[in-house]
Amino acid sequence: MISESSNDSLHPITAQLVGAASSIGGSITVICPGGIGSNDAAHISGVSKVISVEGDCFDTYDCIAWSKSLSPLIEGDLILSSSSAMGRDLISSIAATKRLPVVQDVTGLSKELLATRPIYSGKAVEEVRISSPCAISLRANSFEAAEEGGNAEIRIVNVSQDISVAVKQALAKAGERLDVSEAEIIISGGRGMGDPSNFSHLYEVADLLGAAVGASRAAVDTWDEIPHSMQVGQTGKTVTPNLYIAVGISGAIQHLAGMRSSKYILAINKDPEAPIFGVADYGIVATWEEAIPVLIERIAEIRSN
Amino acid sequence: MGVAVLLKQVPDTTAKISVSGGRVNEGSITKWTMSPYDEYALENAIKLKETGYGDVVAISCGPARASKCLTEAAAVGADKLIHVVTETDTLDSIQTQGLLSAAVKESGCDVVMCGKQAADTNSGSTGPGVASALGYSCVGAVTEVSIEGGVFSATRLGPSGLEEVEVRAPCVFTFDKGDTELRRPNVRGIMMAKKKPIESLTTEDLGVDTSNSMISVESHSSPPDKPAGQKFVGPESVPDVVNMLRNDANVI
Amino acid sequence: MAYEALDFFDIDSLLTEEERMVRDMVRDWVEERVLPNIEDACRDGVFPDEWRVEIGEMGILGAPLKGYGCPGLSYIAYGLICQELERGDSGVRSFASVQGSLAMYPIWDFGSEEQKEKYLPGMAKGELVGCFGLTEPDYGSNPGDMITRAEDGGGHFLLNGAKMWITNGTIADIAVVWAKLEGTIRGFIVEKGDEGFSAPEMKGKHSLKASVTSELVFQDCKIPKDRILPGVKGLRGPFSCLNNARYGISWGAVGAAQSCFNSAREYALSRIQFGHPIASFQLVQNKLSWMLREITKGQLLAYHMGKKKDDGSWIPEQISLAKMNNVDIALEIARMSRDIHGANGILDEYPVMRHMANLESVKTYEGTHDIHNLILGRHITGIQSFTREP
Repeated sequence: MISESSNDSLHPITAQLVGAASSIGGSITVICPGGIGSNDAAHISGVSKVISVEGDCFDTYDCIAWSKSLSPLIEGDLILSSSSAMGRDLISSIAATKRLPVVQDVTGLSKELLATRPIYSGKAVEEVRISSPCAISLRANSFEAAEEGGNAEIRIVNVSQDISVAVKQALAKAGERLDVSEAEIIISGGRGMGDPSNFSHLYEVADLLGAAVGASRAAVDTWDEIPHSMQVGQTGKTVTPNLYIAVGISGAIQHLAGMRSSKYILAINKDPEAPIFGVADYGIVATWEEAIPVLIERIAEIRSN
Repeated sequence: MGVAVLLKQVPDTTAKISVSGGRVNEGSITKWTMSPYDEYALENAIKLKETGYGDVVAISCGPARASKCLTEAAAVGADKLIHVVTETDTLDSIQTQGLLSAAVKESGCDVVMCGKQAADTNSGSTGPGVASALGYSCVGAVTEVSIEGGVFSATRLGPSGLEEVEVRAPCVFTFDKGDTELRRPNVRGIMMAKKKPIESLTTEDLGVDTSNSMISVESHSSPPDKPAGQKFVGPESVPDVVNMLRNDANVI
Repeated sequence: MAYEALDFFDIDSLLTEEERMVRDMVRDWVEERVLPNIEDACRDGVFPDEWRVEIGEMGILGAPLKGYGCPGLSYIAYGLICQELERGDSGVRSFASVQGSLAMYPIWDFGSEEQKEKYLPGMAKGELVGCFGLTEPDYGSNPGDMITRAEDGGGHFLLNGAKMWITNGTIADIAVVWAKLEGTIRGFIVEKGDEGFSAPEMKGKHSLKASVTSELVFQDCKIPKDRILPGVKGLRGPFSCLNNARYGISWGAVGAAQSCFNSAREYALSRIQFGHPIASFQLVQNKLSWMLREITKGQLLAYHMGKKKDDGSWIPEQISLAKMNNVDIALEIARMSRDIHGANGILDEYPVMRHMANLESVKTYEGTHDIHNLILGRHITGIQSFTREP
């Protein structure tokens, strides 16, 4: 399988890939593009062999060049990768090069290669039988990670592959804030925030999550500093994020209409009787002053892992 | 020269999906649209055409209803329309990519644009897969692309973050939602699109064998019901809730 | 797009692909550009100029007219355009109705070749805005007795009088004005800069707030002789224009009704009282069911009217019926919808009261409800009952 790295170290999903492969059986080889994380990979229980592929071409991300380097070194009936953007890129080009079918974003896999995956953005689930040899990408946190304790041999292979993509410059992340109508995660504040300046705490959470910041109509009406464009409600913007975090929002009907179709709703409110708890999947009865710092801490922890 | 745009027709992203008899009920889907990321690919293709790069060839693989996508593409400026007529739900990635690559070769285009992933499967295999099959370079998750002196400059989100990269044709670009405003059709475009011929190709025409797919769909089902809402007291519960959002709900 | 327009008897299946594409183009534009901004436009009492530009760019103005840069679409397509615009706001649809049916149409049907070439292409693009001057302060339902008059001044015409309730007046580049020349009603094209012509805006409206409503004032207004519309004399001129606009309104009213119905349904499903959504209460279902019936009937009426307009087999009384019926039910649906929304219905968080207020104007202009009633009465009996004269 193709290991996944992040910030120059092995991403924990690699252990999940090994775990999934172990339950299917057969010998497991981990390939590490650019050699990143090869030592850690060798220590995952169940891994027979690690191939650390090194070369200048791994300095710049070029999925075609990378897959040209990796493909000749990959053998086996089943190729696995994570379903991250890079994982899916690499496995598609490797699969195409080897003329193997690829199925992406699988959340369940049996020994007989009966795979389960979400389709239509999670509105339905598909069960598909895949013939071997094939390539499959697995969704994070869907499979048990293999434990530590392995001691596989590491084979270092040097490759020199021309890359066709040259990086001209790194760009600063777009300074503009995400619009509520486009975001997959929204954190909204209501009048319960007490003061418009307190929205800065919501922005902190939003930056960690790549989320947009919204506001209830009450907040927009009460404070000039909270502009109309942030309002989540009827006025033309239907929001359908995967996660809606409502902070200091009572949840009366005027606000609900705008965010009812969110996939998941997390509500933080100090009033245990607040109507928002009636629609929230997860409700936390606490003041935002107490809850938000803990939220920031925990999310930052997860991000850095 | 020339830009091929690969368009996939999908159920409108707000459509209700229902399952009956172990299969998604296609008949109940009232609205079919161009996959949203593909719209950005089409817009960028037309922008490239406006710099003089050549014609925009819109290609779609799908059953009869997919031709509507091509007419919509013509209404905003696509020059040639190619419809590879086939049922797509039984095809595996090798077959689909084979059909699209063959159609691209037919078109003679040296640049291919498509969405980074389609709204029905969210797989994202087509771009890199077609690039490999054609021997083209590939740049993914692009939000902007321009050309100067035969060299493309593209803004893409790579593993290291947002970067401006350079690449030459032949190349595949897969698109993400960007700041680019999607142009609206107008009446003139709609009326001209109505008259634009659509070249229909069969899988035999393209020399791709669509029997013997390596995958077979066993069933579709509705996602499991969400568990009832849970209420917790006190800020101490925050870390547990975050874990649940991450592991159970999979939204973080 | 999230919007699903009520189409219980599947009118959609009767449309051509072109008609559907045109409808979807306008629907998407309203969704993206009008709905997020309409409440502000209403509060401020302005018709944003960007909308004029974008409507022009879509190429939908003067929809059923052919030639001179005009779209040449079917009347069904014209109807669908009005439906989608009015789902957004009646004021936006009024802009397009006036421009297309009341200003472009008379030039197209009654103008000289030079006039058509001079004005129509720019009007089709939305670059030249037109308005229609028929109604006067003291002559509304009775336009035949208008007092605005034109005198032959030798090398020019001299216009004197005033028109009122003129949509687009203040922003218009040209006005198609109906005035009596030696006792006969004729059409004249007045341009913005003409000497003795002014178009002050009428303020203080509670209805059609996102639309420009004006007076047209003519004080020895001097216009060149070539500005008279040669092709028509008498009330037939303005009435032909009104018939076209009324047809569009019969579809537009359906759009407004669909918007109010959707809002009521959504609200009824979300609002919980006594532990249940109010959509589960019989009285609420009764109201929603009535709305569904009337919208469906209105759609079928409008669609069939469009088919008759397209094949030329229509008579004006049919258009009277369509306009009158559809605006009536739309107004009733808006009120009923507001009622279902409870107190929330008075907030601009929801579109219903804005539609309700707008539809009061739509019921009154282009022939009041009562006038259309009498048009039908005359058709049925052969006896006019507009006036007491024998």
